[in-house]
Amino acid sequence: MKTYKHNMVFTGHKSFIILVLLGLITCLSGWSYINDSIETGPYQLVYPANFGNRINVPDDNQTTKQGVYLGRLLFYEKKLSANNTLSCASCHQQDKAFTDGKAFSEGVDHVLTTRNSMSLVNLLWARKFFWDGRAGSLEDQAITPMTNPHEMGQSLEISVKKISNTVTYPALFKLVYGDETITSDRICKAISQFERTLISCNSRYDQYLSNAYQPARQELNGMNLFMNGPNPEKGIRGANCAHCHGGAKTYKELFHNNGLDSIPKDAGIEALTGLAADRGRFKVPTLRNIALTAPYMHDGRFKTLNEVVDHYSDHLKESEALSTFLRGESNDIGGKTLHLRPEEKKDIIAFLDMLTDSTFINDPRFSDPNKIASKQKSKTNSK
Amino acid sequence: MKKYTFIIVALITFFISPYLTKAQAPAKEASVKVTGEVTSALDLKLADLQQFKQTEVTRKDRDGKDHIYSGVILSEILQKAGVTLGKDLRGENLTKFVQVTASDGYQVVFALAELDKDFTDRMIILADKIDGKPLLPADGPFRIIVQDEKKPARCIKQVTGIKVQFAK
Ligand code: HEC
Ligand code: HEC
Repeated sequence: MKTYKHNMVFTGHKSFIILVLLGLITCLSGWSYINDSIETGPYQLVYPANFGNRINVPDDNQTTKQGVYLGRLLFYEKKLSANNTLSCASCHQQDKAFTDGKAFSEGVDHVLTTRNSMSLVNLLWARKFFWDGRAGSLEDQAITPMTNPHEMGQSLEISVKKISNTVTYPALFKLVYGDETITSDRICKAISQFERTLISCNSRYDQYLSNAYQPARQELNGMNLFMNGPNPEKGIRGANCAHCHGGAKTYKELFHNNGLDSIPKDAGIEALTGLAADRGRFKVPTLRNIALTAPYMHDGRFKTLNEVVDHYSDHLKESEALSTFLRGESNDIGGKTLHLRPEEKKDIIAFLDMLTDSTFINDPRFSDPNKIASKQKSKTNSK
Repeated sequence: MKKYTFIIVALITFFISPYLTKAQAPAKEASVKVTGEVTSALDLKLADLQQFKQTEVTRKDRDGKDHIYSGVILSEILQKAGVTLGKDLRGENLTKFVQVTASDGYQVVFALAELDKDFTDRMIILADKIDGKPLLPADGPFRIIVQDEKKPARCIKQVTGIKVQFAK
């Protein structure tokens, strides 16, 4: 575009031809660059068999290599925000398992979000999105942060216009969708394709499940407490976490009230259904990479895992909607709460640390593509 | 003097009370939606369930004691929705299954044939009462009770949806 403006200074026949030629060269070089470096074809979603195949890919948005490539660029694209300051990655940072380390995140208008940013991981298996599960697909979900005035704050029409007025995107959309038309639907679809590739399956817990890691004693104790319900009559100690957080993915897509408040400030799912039984009910989030995603809960009220485990052990708040799975579960006969011992709490946290997947947070396929480009540029510059 | 105060208070209460009750957000009533391979979808509230024939099933709960659950045989509800049961439950219809969803997202399935009385005498009911009383909020208002099944995992609580589908 810059060269074009420069050439506008010249007038006459010759400069027009030069102009057209220059334009052609830019287009061609752009096109061949894209064709050369971008792999195309179906994207192979690779995951362990124990994750199961109940995956969620819409028929009209199959995952392709070129789609994921485009989606990754858009995920890190600040032009999708009102003042070009935020991208999805601002609140979903890879090194924090795609969270942002804050209780609430700041939008383009400097107003805070009302809920804690969520980890983006193993979304391929999810069917309901957000803390209250209100979005039925990733494609629908993406519209909210883009248009919410307290997040990226830009209408879809303007986003489409800004993306259309770039050198690289139209050709990329052609590569993915067959023509250069850029629509909000196509933007959301590409972002969703990228999000579906965010698969984490190489934590020490995954390695343990595939017999490739022998947990330390503390980790094993913690795992047993996490998996088992307490049964004081039989002398079995437990914390019953797996009832809600269990399975190879540590995610079951359940929605519960886990006793944070007797009268919750945020009504959760009740705001959608109007049912008293849904009061203070929220998505049971994945515990994958949980050591990296503080602060915790929908409002980021707990800064550490110690505080979280203390909550479940000793501070559950009674209310009508409190989950039955948390009622009457105690390590004391007739007790009301779990009442874990201090070393048991440490054991549980040792197990939670086993859920950290450093391969995932360092995977170059998920990182900011602009940073790689600028790194390469600075390398060539220094030569 | 006392008389007047009484009258005034009574009058104020009379005028204000409708607003007071309104201020308490009208809690919505829970229901069970019957959808999928049906000819007419249903949205059943507690009162609707009383329109069906009531059936009792006895089974042990977590407390290890027998309880009498009452409600409606699931296949009778499905019949009302026009699901292929009885003489129509053959051929490809035998690949149908019923997916039951709870308000917390928990889901279980039954093969349609498991629910048909020409196939089995085992009763599966959508219960709304235990020992003659409404189910506890944490269990109800609707719960599936599977007669004689050893594990309680399919006695799914807080049922909100019943969807009939073809296995693909
Ligand atoms: C300003 C911070 C912010 C930005 C920018 C942002 N998000 Fe989020 N994201 C959040 C918050 C906060 C939530 C939880 C909101 C809720 O539950 O109401 C969330 C939730 C999500 C979820 C739901 C995850 C789950 O497990 O249910 C997905 C998916 C997601 N965001 C994707 C995106 C995408 C894609 C973009 C860019 C188009 C984006 N986000 C931009 C803060 C942000
Ligand atoms: C009844 C189901 C249930 C059980 C049992 C349960 N949790 Fe949770 N957990 C939840 C829900 C629901 C949330 C989110 C609540 C919210 O933010 O309002 C949650 C949130 C969490 C979080 C914060 C996640 C995040 O991303 O912010 C951690 C950590 C956690 N639970 C650990 C545990 C541990 C450890 C145990 C066992 C001691 C346990 N949970 C038992 C339902 C449960």
